Amino acid sequence: MIQMVRFEIKKMLSKTGGKIALVMIFMIVVIVSVFAVRSVDFVKSDGSSITGIRAAKELRYMKSAWTGYLTEDVFAEVIRLNAEVEETPEAQSKDWHESNKAYAMKQGYLDIRDIINSALSPFREYNYYNIDGADPGVASEIYERRIANLEKWLASDEAKDRYSETKKQFFVDQYSEIETPLYYEDADGWKALLEYSKTVIMLTMLILSFLVCNIFSGEYHLKADSVFFSSLEGRRKGVKAKLLAGLLLISIIYWSVILIYSLVVLSALGSGGWNCPIQVSLYGWKSFYNITFLENYTLTVLGGYVGILFILTTELFISVITRSAVVSITFPFVLLFLPSFVGSINSISGILGLMPDQLLQISVAVRLFNAYEFGNTVVGALPILFMVYSMLFMILIPVIYRVFRRAEVC
Amino acid sequence: MGLEIMDLTKEFHGFKAVNRVSFSFDNNGVYGLLGVNGAGKTTLMRMICTLIHPTSGSITYDGKDIFELDGEYRKILGYLPQEFGFYPEFTVVDYLRYIASIKGLSQVAARKKVDLVLRQVGMEKSKRIKMKKLSGGMKRRVGIAQAILNDPQILILDEPTAGLDPNERIRFRNLISELSQNRIVLLSTHIISDIESVASRVFFMKDGEITLSGRVEEILGTVPAKVWICEMTPEEADRIQKQYSVSNRRLHQGSVELRVITEERPVENAREENLTLEDLFLYVFGEKGDDTNGEI
Repeated sequence: MIQMVRFEIKKMLSKTGGKIALVMIFMIVVIVSVFAVRSVDFVKSDGSSITGIRAAKELRYMKSAWTGYLTEDVFAEVIRLNAEVEETPEAQSKDWHESNKAYAMKQGYLDIRDIINSALSPFREYNYYNIDGADPGVASEIYERRIANLEKWLASDEAKDRYSETKKQFFVDQYSEIETPLYYEDADGWKALLEYSKTVIMLTMLILSFLVCNIFSGEYHLKADSVFFSSLEGRRKGVKAKLLAGLLLISIIYWSVILIYSLVVLSALGSGGWNCPIQVSLYGWKSFYNITFLENYTLTVLGGYVGILFILTTELFISVITRSAVVSITFPFVLLFLPSFVGSINSISGILGLMPDQLLQISVAVRLFNAYEFGNTVVGALPILFMVYSMLFMILIPVIYRVFRRAEVC
Repeated sequence: MGLEIMDLTKEFHGFKAVNRVSFSFDNNGVYGLLGVNGAGKTTLMRMICTLIHPTSGSITYDGKDIFELDGEYRKILGYLPQEFGFYPEFTVVDYLRYIASIKGLSQVAARKKVDLVLRQVGMEKSKRIKMKKLSGGMKRRVGIAQAILNDPQILILDEPTAGLDPNERIRFRNLISELSQNRIVLLSTHIISDIESVASRVFFMKDGEITLSGRVEEILGTVPAKVWICEMTPEEADRIQKQYSVSNRRLHQGSVELRVITEERPVENAREENLTLEDLFLYVFGEKGDDTNGEI
């Protein structure tokens, strides 16, 4: 069996297309990692800016002063400091270089400033300057305002008919359940990691779809099916070896990509803040999932894995049925791009939230208000996505085995 | 016992590719299957290789249905298909080791067996060459090698010598003859001489049916046709050729020598000769025999 699996993997990787795919995956990891690292920028006190590892180091140092629980006092202090900076000639100046100098003074508490701005803005909006005229008294209302903003939005024309009362209550309960004051630490590494994870996962999936599309259909395409199926293990272990080789290749490449990407980004930008709730950033302030950055990233990469397994297994199933790699390979593309075309149709927005592409972008999905009702119970989209597609994947494997082993060679 | 085919029929959308075929392979040896393209030979062979299910009828091995025997039957089966597909990026040795693995050979046994079959087909020096770089003849040799990797009791060879040069064909013929000493070899070919010299029994297949079968000398005696050598002018030869089956036309000192297959003497001065399998093929299949590109 091991020998068969080894040869099946060799079949996939020995082709020129396979080698190109491997090089492309490596290049994608490198390029996206560089983008992620360079996404962090730091403005020096003279107004000039730097990006990347040095920027992250400077920011980490400045933000470390604010590590701890975001209490009323902390919010008040940020409002006061921000007001002080706003009074400086640099902040008052119309010259962008001078404004940069003012911005440089705020960088240490920028994340907390974002939270305050979000709390002071209507639910679906964000105003960067809200804090500038804020009364320090609002510091005591930041967490209450988060819930109040949600309630206001749920009662608005935009959302009132979109969710049932049970769902609305579920969202409010989720918001209320989060333990406050929130613990804060600089998590720029995790934020960059999450921001670019969708790109890494989707591109990896598309390239993997090219790599594995021929596992089954290749036998027909190369006219090697007659010898394969007339052999002792051709309709038994031979089929299992194909499945195992496909899953092994997908798993090894996917987890290697994730490992390299995570190591590069976290070692460059820092891994601190892993235990902070995602709500301590502009990224996760509105999320109803009460999870930490580490949990969010774990869900993101696990979701990516489940999603890729399901999508590529379906691709294999299509290739077994149609005997065509070309037809099967269109499936992952359609799945990724279809939601963009039909996303504007309101009546199917609920279904779109459960499409498998959501698993490839958990870092985005945690910020969406997709929840589903089962009787009196409301569940967020994430647990459903994980459960449904894990099950479908497990169902597809024996189906592929049965269909392929019964194939006839006409 | 052995391999037995009973009333075997295969229909594709109402078209009977194989129609109520029955015969048995009782002893080891070469069984030749002759027929023009589209006669149903490949469909019949694919059913014997469990690649397609028959519409009706049965194929049994030692009294048991081969489809029910499943792996137990495929374990004793070797098959070289007409269109022999392979994995182009594999080297010869990798290809054979892979096939050995799906034939259920252990890694150690596979290494030994691959070396042995490579020697048998004369490919030991080319074992590190990629399959895509092999010549047509070399590919056929690898095809034979993979078919015998598991020492099959039943060896099915569909057009194994197609596209080979005369030297390679002779080499193959000898190899097939050698292999048939301890196994059943079913050999389908257009090249009559390949079968004539090695087959212990021959089947003529036409329009999905076995029209003639038996030992070569037996079936040659069952048909009323005779072979006539006639010498005549080119104009006369053209007329005769339109009237009768002609297996050979040769220019000879301004006149033409025809080899005519017919039951009655075609012209006065015709000289009777012994019927060969090649003549019989033309007699049975008529003008359709021409689509073999002159190989018969």
